[in-house]
Amino acid sequence: MTLDMLVLQLLTGLSRAAVLFIVAAGLSLVFGALRIVNVAHGSFYMLGAFLAVTVAAFVGGPIGFVAAIIAVPLLVALIGAIVERVALRSLYDKEHLLQLLATFALLLVFHDLVRGIWGERPHRLTAPDLLRGPVDLFGIIFPRYNLFLIGAAIVLAVGLWALMTRTGFGRDIRAAVSDPEMLGMVGVNVPRLFTLVFALGAGLGALGGILASPRSTVLLGMDVEMIIQAFAVVIIGGLGSLVGTAVGALLVGITFAFGVLFVPQAAMAMVFLVMVAVLVFRPYGLFGIPER
Amino acid sequence: MNRHDAARTGIAGRLSNLRPTGTVWAVLALIGFIAPLFANQRQTYVLMHVLVLAVFATSFNVMLGYTGMVSFAHGAYYGVGAYAVTLLWIHLGWPSLVGFLLAPVIAGAAAYLTGLVALRAVQLYFALLTLALGQLLFVVAFQWRALTRGDDGIHGVALPQLLMPTTNRYYFLLFATAVALAILGAVMRSPFGATLQAIRENGERAGFLGIKVKRYQLASFTLGGAFAGYAGAMFVIMDRGAFPLLMHWTTSAEPIFVTLIGGLNAYIGPTVGALIFGLLQDWITRRFVFWGLILGIVLLVIILRMPGGTVEGVQRLVAWIGRRRDRAPRGEPFDESSQPADAAERPREGAPAGEPTAGGER
Repeated sequence: MTLDMLVLQLLTGLSRAAVLFIVAAGLSLVFGALRIVNVAHGSFYMLGAFLAVTVAAFVGGPIGFVAAIIAVPLLVALIGAIVERVALRSLYDKEHLLQLLATFALLLVFHDLVRGIWGERPHRLTAPDLLRGPVDLFGIIFPRYNLFLIGAAIVLAVGLWALMTRTGFGRDIRAAVSDPEMLGMVGVNVPRLFTLVFALGAGLGALGGILASPRSTVLLGMDVEMIIQAFAVVIIGGLGSLVGTAVGALLVGITFAFGVLFVPQAAMAMVFLVMVAVLVFRPYGLFGIPER
Repeated sequence: MNRHDAARTGIAGRLSNLRPTGTVWAVLALIGFIAPLFANQRQTYVLMHVLVLAVFATSFNVMLGYTGMVSFAHGAYYGVGAYAVTLLWIHLGWPSLVGFLLAPVIAGAAAYLTGLVALRAVQLYFALLTLALGQLLFVVAFQWRALTRGDDGIHGVALPQLLMPTTNRYYFLLFATAVALAILGAVMRSPFGATLQAIRENGERAGFLGIKVKRYQLASFTLGGAFAGYAGAMFVIMDRGAFPLLMHWTTSAEPIFVTLIGGLNAYIGPTVGALIFGLLQDWITRRFVFWGLILGIVLLVIILRMPGGTVEGVQRLVAWIGRRRDRAPRGEPFDESSQPADAAERPREGAPAGEPTAGGER
C-alpha cells in the first residue's frame, strides 16, 4: 500500500463526505429548529435527482446541469414548504415517535409518486464536460468531479455558517433551536420560520441528490439508501449541530472509503459500528445537546 | 409536557374499558379456524402472513404500547429468528421444528445483547441507536455469504411431511399464533406487565418507587425480540426460506404500521392491525402497483386524526352509538351533550361516563 493510494482513498472519502454533508446539513437544520426527525428527507434527495434528470433533459446541453442545480432545489424547497404546511404543522405538539412515523409515511408516498412519474428504470444525469475527466494532483490522478464536490461542500458549509451567524434569519433559527416559544413572544412569526427552515432543508436534500447523481445512477430506492447514511452522519455528529454534521460526514465518508479499501464487504458495517461506538460513549452524538 | 400527556393517555385507561375484547378474540379465533375452508392456496398464504404479522406486531407492541420504547431493530430479531431455523437446517442439518423452538431463544439473546448497548441512550436517540444496531445485523446477514448465502437467501427448507400441505401449515401457524398471543397476553397482565406500563407512564416516578427502570426496559426489549424471532421462525414455516431483507430496517417499520393501524393502546390492536394490513396489502397490490402511496396516506390520516388506530375508532363509534341511545328517551340536551362529547375526545382520562367500567382490573 503506497502513500499515494492512501491519499487517493482519503480524497475519495472526502468527496463522499461532501455529498453526505450537504444532505445531512438539511436534515440536521430541520431537526434543530423543528425537533422533527425527517425520514422524508431521503425523498427530497431522490426527488432532486429525478427532477434534475428531467430539467437537464428539457434544457439540454451543458447548461442543462447548471439549470438543474439552480432550479430544482428551489422547486423541491417549494414542495417541502407545502408538505410542512399540509402534513407536519399539526404534528408539532405530538410525540417524537408519531412525527417520525408521519415522515416515514411521507417517504412511502413520495417513493410511489416518483415511481409513478419516472418509472422503475434507472436514469442518468451527466455532468458538463468541464467537470468530467481526471485531474492530476501532484501525481495523483483524481476524478475532477469529485474535486468539484469537495469544493461545493466547502462553499456551502461557509455559506450556511454565514447564514446562521451573520443574518437575522440565521439568528432566528438559532433562537428557535433553544426556545421557539420565547422567540414567538418577542414577535417573530415562528410558524413561518419553521416553514422556511423546512423548505431550506428540503432544498439542501435535493441539491445533494443532484450533486451525487453524476457519480452513480438515478434510481428508485436511493431515498432509503441515503436517509440511513444521513442518519448515521447526524447521529454521530449530534442532531441539530452544523459543526457536528460536518464532522459526522467526514467520519462516515472516510470510514466508508477506507473500509472499501481494506474490507470491502464490511464497509457499511464499519460505518454502523462507528455510529454505535459514538452513541455508546456520547449518547447525544459528538456535538449534540441533550434533548430538551 | 406533551409527551407526558400522550404517555398518560396510554393503555391503562384504555384496557379497563375493553371488556368486550374476549368476544372479539373468540370471533377472530373462529374466523381463523374456518377461513381455510373457503380460501384457495393463495388466500391461505395471505392468511398465514396475517398470522405471522400478528405475532410480529404484538411482540413489537410489548415495547411500543406497554413500555413506551420505539425500536427500529425489531426486523433484525425477526430475521435472526428466521435465520436460526434456516441456518441450523442448512449447516447442521437440524430439523426445522427444533430450529423453530430455538429461534426465540437465539433472537432473545441477540436482543438482550444489542439491548444492553441500545439502552445506553433514551427516547429518540435510543430509537436511532436501535436503527444502527439493526442495520449492523442486516449488513452481517447481507455480506457474510459463507454463512447466509447473502442476497440469494436460503430456500426450500425441509419441513416435516405433516407440514407440507398448505392447509396443515396454516393450522400449525394458527396454533403457534394462539400460543404466542396467550403467553404475551398473560405476561402483559402480570405484575411484570403492570410495571412496564408504570415505566411507560412515567419512568422517573417508577424509578422513585424503586423499580429498576433500565432492567425492566431491557427485559421488555428481550421479550419483544424473542417473540419477533418466534414470528421469524413462523415466517420460515410459511415461506420455507430466509433472506437478508427480513432484517432490513424497512421490515422493522412493518410492525409499527400494523400496530398503528390496529391501535397501540390495546393488546388486541396489533392483531386487528395485522388482519387489516395483510388483507388490504393483498387486495391492493393485486390491483394497483402503488401500495406504498395508499399505505402512506392511510398512515398519515391515522397519525393525524386517530392515533388510537382501529380499535379506538371502533370504541368511539360504540360509545357514540351508546350515547345516542341513552340520550333519545331522556332528552336532556344540554347536560348530556357537553359531558360525553368531552369524554369522547379525551377517552383516556379513565372510563368515560356511560361506558361500562371494569375499573377493578387496574
